[in-house]
Amino acid sequence: MSTQFNDLQLDALRELANIGSGTASTALSTMLGRAVDISVPTAAALPFAEAVDAVGPAERLVTGVVIGVNGDMQATVLLLLGTGDAATICSLLGVDPDDEMAASALGEIGNIVGTSYINALGAMTGLEMEPEPPQSATDMLSAIVATVLAGRASGDDIALVLDSDLTVEGEDCSMSFLLVPSQGGVQELLTRLGLGD
Amino acid sequence: MAETMVRMGELAFSACAGDVLVSLGLGSCIGLALLDRRAAVAGLAHVVLPAADGRADSPGRFADTAAPVLLDALRGLGARRTRVEAVLVGGASMFSFGGNGLEVGQRNDAAVREALARLRIPIVAAETGGSRGRTVRVTVETGRVTARAAGDTEVALYPLLAVTA
Repeated sequence: MSTQFNDLQLDALRELANIGSGTASTALSTMLGRAVDISVPTAAALPFAEAVDAVGPAERLVTGVVIGVNGDMQATVLLLLGTGDAATICSLLGVDPDDEMAASALGEIGNIVGTSYINALGAMTGLEMEPEPPQSATDMLSAIVATVLAGRASGDDIALVLDSDLTVEGEDCSMSFLLVPSQGGVQELLTRLGLGD
Repeated sequence: MAETMVRMGELAFSACAGDVLVSLGLGSCIGLALLDRRAAVAGLAHVVLPAADGRADSPGRFADTAAPVLLDALRGLGARRTRVEAVLVGGASMFSFGGNGLEVGQRNDAAVREALARLRIPIVAAETGGSRGRTVRVTVETGRVTARAAGDTEVALYPLLAVTA
């Protein structure tokens, strides 16, 4: 599957994602006052069409919070929640899921979780990374993921997707977390880890 | 009825009655449908980016390569060039990245329209722009094209209602 990265490189990227999502889960846990579990992240370099398929059913309605990353590494962080998961998060925060405040509450969750992930990556690699303000949308899963991939596309048809799941303990509530670096961004990450081409 | 999924960057075409060409959840991408209803042939490209810049490996991905390649494919199935019509779906602006001027969705929309103008293919219906994702379905036998936005019902774009943007 991975046409551009070797196993060692994918392992290193997975480890980065692991540390990033560990930090992110701590931030989420503090906000919600609940324990948060993280899954072992997956790292895969896939053609766009397969990357979209790998994330889940194309037409499933989800809320996506997107955070652009600028600086030494260009990337996009995408937090995906099913509509039920989004509602649970809102009620844990004391916000009515149908209220117009809900979108901004989710944006804020995305912001805190996303920036702690990015800051962890930055601290580990010494790369300067500046997160942009979060944007959120509730739409078809594939529309959200495809738009993020197209926004980072540089002509190549390979997307590197680092995927981790965060699960709130005691609630049937989880979210998945994707880091989609631009092509140059991945090389920069790998170079800093001493695994550049 | 056989549904053929046309995923990101892919294109498909058919002259088989019963075939339906589908792109699920288009965001900033454009579903470009070309039809010759008299010959009962149709094609669909899932366009991701405006310009190929010389790349030739996956013509469906780019607006400027998808249109001519799809037109040639339909002609190979018996379509008459002068009868070919286009329907566009997608090109939404769901998020804005890096403040680099126009969104990918808008640039895709403009690039597909430009490519069609160059080929002198009329756009008979379009449902592009806005902020919502859409699914497009093209029924080969009838040339019927429908679009469905997230959380909405399916709407016939062509031939029942001709919506021009």
